[in-house]
Amino acid sequence: MLDLTSRIARGVFGFGFLGLAAFLGFPVFWMVSTAFKPQAEVFVRFPSLLPEAPTLANFRGVFAQGDLPLWLLNSLLTAGGAALLTTVLAVLAAHSFARFRYRGRKALMALMISAQMFPFAVLLISLYPLLQSAGLLDTRLGLTIAYIVFALPTGTYMLFSYFVRLPEELMEAARIDGASEIGILLRVVLPISIPGLVTVALYAFMWAWNDLLYAMTLVTSPGLRTVGPGLLMSQLGEMRQDWGAAMAASLVASLPVVLAFALVQRWFVQGLTAGAVKG
Amino acid sequence: MGTAVATGVMPREAARPGSLARQQARFGLLLAMPAMAVFCAVILWPFLDSLRRAFYEDTLMTPEPVFVGLANFQQLLEDGTILGTWLVTAAFVLLTTAFTFALGFAWALILNERFRGRTLVRALSLLPWVLPSTVVAFLWAWLLNGQYGILNAVLLKVGALSEPVAWLATPEGAMAGIVLAKTWLSIPLFTAFLLAGLQGLPREQVEAARIDGAGNWHVLRHVTWPHLRPTIAVLLVLGALGNLQQFDVIYAMTGGGPVRATTVMSVEVQRQAFQAWNLGLAAAVGVVWFLTILGPAWLRLRAAMREA
Repeated sequence: MLDLTSRIARGVFGFGFLGLAAFLGFPVFWMVSTAFKPQAEVFVRFPSLLPEAPTLANFRGVFAQGDLPLWLLNSLLTAGGAALLTTVLAVLAAHSFARFRYRGRKALMALMISAQMFPFAVLLISLYPLLQSAGLLDTRLGLTIAYIVFALPTGTYMLFSYFVRLPEELMEAARIDGASEIGILLRVVLPISIPGLVTVALYAFMWAWNDLLYAMTLVTSPGLRTVGPGLLMSQLGEMRQDWGAAMAASLVASLPVVLAFALVQRWFVQGLTAGAVKG
Repeated sequence: MGTAVATGVMPREAARPGSLARQQARFGLLLAMPAMAVFCAVILWPFLDSLRRAFYEDTLMTPEPVFVGLANFQQLLEDGTILGTWLVTAAFVLLTTAFTFALGFAWALILNERFRGRTLVRALSLLPWVLPSTVVAFLWAWLLNGQYGILNAVLLKVGALSEPVAWLATPEGAMAGIVLAKTWLSIPLFTAFLLAGLQGLPREQVEAARIDGAGNWHVLRHVTWPHLRPTIAVLLVLGALGNLQQFDVIYAMTGGGPVRATTVMSVEVQRQAFQAWNLGLAAAVGVVWFLTILGPAWLRLRAAMREA
């Protein structure tokens, strides 16, 4: 779109590219670099860009003394559960909103979408006593259920935007062939909506995996701690000021969600932006 | 809303009122029920109930919440913290949204051009958005570290500083730090939306402008910008709402400090509710918060419902 034939335009473009790439990339590079440095190279006023004597000591330390594997497991269970629950519920609601016409449909949808605006921290004020009275406070199941809050409204809207773009003829053809409504959803809509489903599942997973607020408020037992609060507490506690260890732990904590994301990145971006950008 | 006939959506309904159409409508409503039930239980009811608590005295000292009218709000006004919290929040949201938009827009324009390795750069530049928020906070706290941070090292080397600065220990530095971290974290999202918008821009429009002798600035101003306007509107509202929600990065980086310099509303609510255990006061902050976002929230809702 841009005309980059003139020298000045190319200069500005190149400068912008390098500047933004450095801004976005450097913090991640610095995390990786610090994670592989021995202590003596971390705690200096003028550090080198790359580790001069790369070491795995930080990682060994993190796994030996920390509860990182346990936090990872807890995060995997709660975030995975939240992704599954959110996706199933969002599929049903989005299909209903996109394919059927009934009284109250728009009101239900508006209600669901408006919940994107409810402040998460404010919800906690009542979610906490609610989970407490259900005996789910300080449990993985309780946290999983609370995580539905993060992604159900947005997930429903994303899937709605996806479903509403599917050609109506497909459903009509199936209906004429005598397919039931459930059959249409399972065998016609879902198979061609994999990118949308993956997007919503990963969106819910990411929100839950990356969360600190709900995890640190609703779960207090050290054995049930997830990655976010786990890292924070250890940084405030025994890992305090050991930045090599903190960066190594950060790197390990980031890997699962980065890998999941890398696998489905293309679909994800499409699905995420579908609602906002008219196709 | 009107009936199906009036909106012309499913004309078959008019021919056979009652039978198939009604059955289908009933099934449709049924499908929405599980999600709506969960929604009411864990989102809608807790939200309304939280707001209700703003009018009750509800602390560790009160075994049963007592209705106190506007006393919580009065207390907020009297101890004078709410205005400060509101201003800190507004500063954080405005600065973060503006920076993220400007940089995200520039990055989208760059990634929209063809160059070798573009696909890889696009994929990699989503990385900040994917990282856990605690990790993002750690990264920036480490970069800005007062003793061994790389920012100090660079500034000392080039002579811009004579003494290392503990950035996160000063009010302005801490605010700049959380704005920087959140901007960094959100640029990928903004870029993804704008890039999708840019890809929908018909090439002929740009070419036609070029033939008329338009330069880059003219194309950006009179072709690209008008095309992106709807996307930008959605993005700014979504982005501002997201920044208003932000808790994790701020809490993990500064804990709301020094003193109250980075105590935004989400941090204040969490602190009042779960550290001071004054649920009523926390809820009162929540009401102020809700009133603040009502405007942008309404815009967002209207835009989203256009498709329904």
